[in-house]
Amino acid sequence: MTKLDELMKLPGAMAAFEFRGSGELLEQRIAYPDRIDESILDLLAHMCAANMSIATMQARGWEKVTTMKGFYPVQEFTLIGFDWSVVVSGLHREQYKQAGKFSLPPFMGVVMANDKADYEAAFAILEKQEPVQ
Amino acid sequence: MSMIRRLLALDGVNVVCHFRDDGYLIEGYGLMSRNDMGRLAQFARDYRRMIQGNADQLAMFTNMRGWTPPRGWVVRGVTQSVCGVANLVCVVDSDGAPLNEILLELREVSHW
Repeated sequence: MTKLDELMKLPGAMAAFEFRGSGELLEQRIAYPDRIDESILDLLAHMCAANMSIATMQARGWEKVTTMKGFYPVQEFTLIGFDWSVVVSGLHREQYKQAGKFSLPPFMGVVMANDKADYEAAFAILEKQEPVQ
Repeated sequence: MSMIRRLLALDGVNVVCHFRDDGYLIEGYGLMSRNDMGRLAQFARDYRRMIQGNADQLAMFTNMRGWTPPRGWVVRGVTQSVCGVANLVCVVDSDGAPLNEILLELREVSHW
C-alpha cells in the first residue's frame, strides 16, 4: 500500500496528494470528488509549497536570532481551516538532502475534516522512515 | 492562576504566549526569555495574518468553502514545533507531545 493510500485511511481524510517543491500537483487520491477536485488540490499544493518555504526561512531566522535549536529543517506544515485541515510533509526530501542526493522526492500531504482530524496519526504516517534510493 | 498557564501542564509544552492583535506580548510562560517571547508573539501575529491571507485567497480562487477563517497552524521542526490558535502561540516538543490535545486546549483557552 502506498503512503497516499495509508493517508486516505485516516479518520476524516478527504484527499491525499504529492507535489513538487515548486507546487505542481503530481499524484492524488480523492475521497469526495464533489467537495474537492484536482484543480483545488493543485492550488492547495502551491499554497503549501509556498508556506513550507516561508516557514523554513522563519525557522532559520529564528534559530539565528534566538540561538534556540530544533526548528530547522521544517518537517511539516499544517493549516487548520474552519472545517478542513491540510498537513504537508517534506521530511522525506530532507532525508534525501542529507544523503547528498540532488533529485528529491515530492512533498506529501493530506486534507482532513476538522471534526475527525487526528494530526498525530497524520504525522506518524508522513514521518514513517523510507529507504533513500 | 492565568488561564493560559494551564497549557504548560500538558506534556511537551515548553512555552505559551498570549498576544494582542498588534503582536504585543500580553503574557508568556515557559522556558524562554521575555525578549524571545516578545519576538515569538510578533512572529505568531505575522504568521497568523499570512495564513489568514492564504486561506482567503484559496477560498476565493477555488470557491471551496470551509477554509476560512482559519482556526490555527502548526510548523513542525526536528525537535520543536510551533502551534498558533487565535492570539495564542505555543512551542512544543515535536516528539511525544499530545498535539491533538494541545490544539483542542488552545482552541478552548482562546475563547476565554
